[in-house]
Amino acid sequence: MPSNWGYVLAAYGIAAVTLLTYWRHLARRARALAARRAAKPRAA
Amino acid sequence: MTRALGWLTVLGLAAGLAAGFGYAPREAVQGNVQRIMYLHVPAVLTAYLAFLLVLLGSIAYLATRRAGWDRLAGAAGEIGVLFTGLTIVSGSIWGKPTWGTWWTWDARLTSTAVLFMVYVGYLLLRSLIEDPEARARYAAVVGILGAVNIPIVHFSVKWWRALHQPSTILGPERSPIDPAIGLALFVNWVAFTLLFAYFLARRMDIARLEEQT
Repeated sequence: MPSNWGYVLAAYGIAAVTLLTYWRHLARRARALAARRAAKPRAA
Repeated sequence: MTRALGWLTVLGLAAGLAAGFGYAPREAVQGNVQRIMYLHVPAVLTAYLAFLLVLLGSIAYLATRRAGWDRLAGAAGEIGVLFTGLTIVSGSIWGKPTWGTWWTWDARLTSTAVLFMVYVGYLLLRSLIEDPEARARYAAVVGILGAVNIPIVHFSVKWWRALHQPSTILGPERSPIDPAIGLALFVNWVAFTLLFAYFLARRMDIARLEEQT
């Protein structure tokens, strides 16, 4: 029975990168929106 | 609250990895490649949960016209697409050493690909309509129609002759799974559900901020 660890690492690696990328995307978007909200009263 | 949920999710995912790679035994027939199951099955269960919330949010929006239900449906749809994508990719990687192919037009794989495309279309529709009320209304109709695919994906292995194995869990019979493998799967399912709840809370916060700015 072959070990096939390469396939296991590929599956978990792709999942980790995808989930981390989505998490960072959410964090960046939240920060950008918070900055836009904070800037609004000064512009008015 | 969301921060606490985030840390709980990190703990859950760490426990899931420990259970899948440390506690669960090497599977007798497939060997270590079966450990992909601790990622693949929780991912598809999370996608089902996400699309059921799209259905719930869509029905509730059409009944009440409250924007909060549309935010729930939109956020759950986006995260559901993410987890369906992970299901397809992890299944394809698992399929190569076990079936000898990355992809086959089997009923389960094909119906999952259709499910993925339907909800990608749902997200595209949401991004194309600027008027919030019209966007919510049209998206709710697609969100309700799209949910028809969930039972088709789940029961495809029973309804058609398929290369994909029948449901090990969520099936009518008692699961034949080894208790240690079952426990590792359960821990990972809980971790993915926590991750989904965390992503959903953050995505809904962003949608609320977008409406206010």
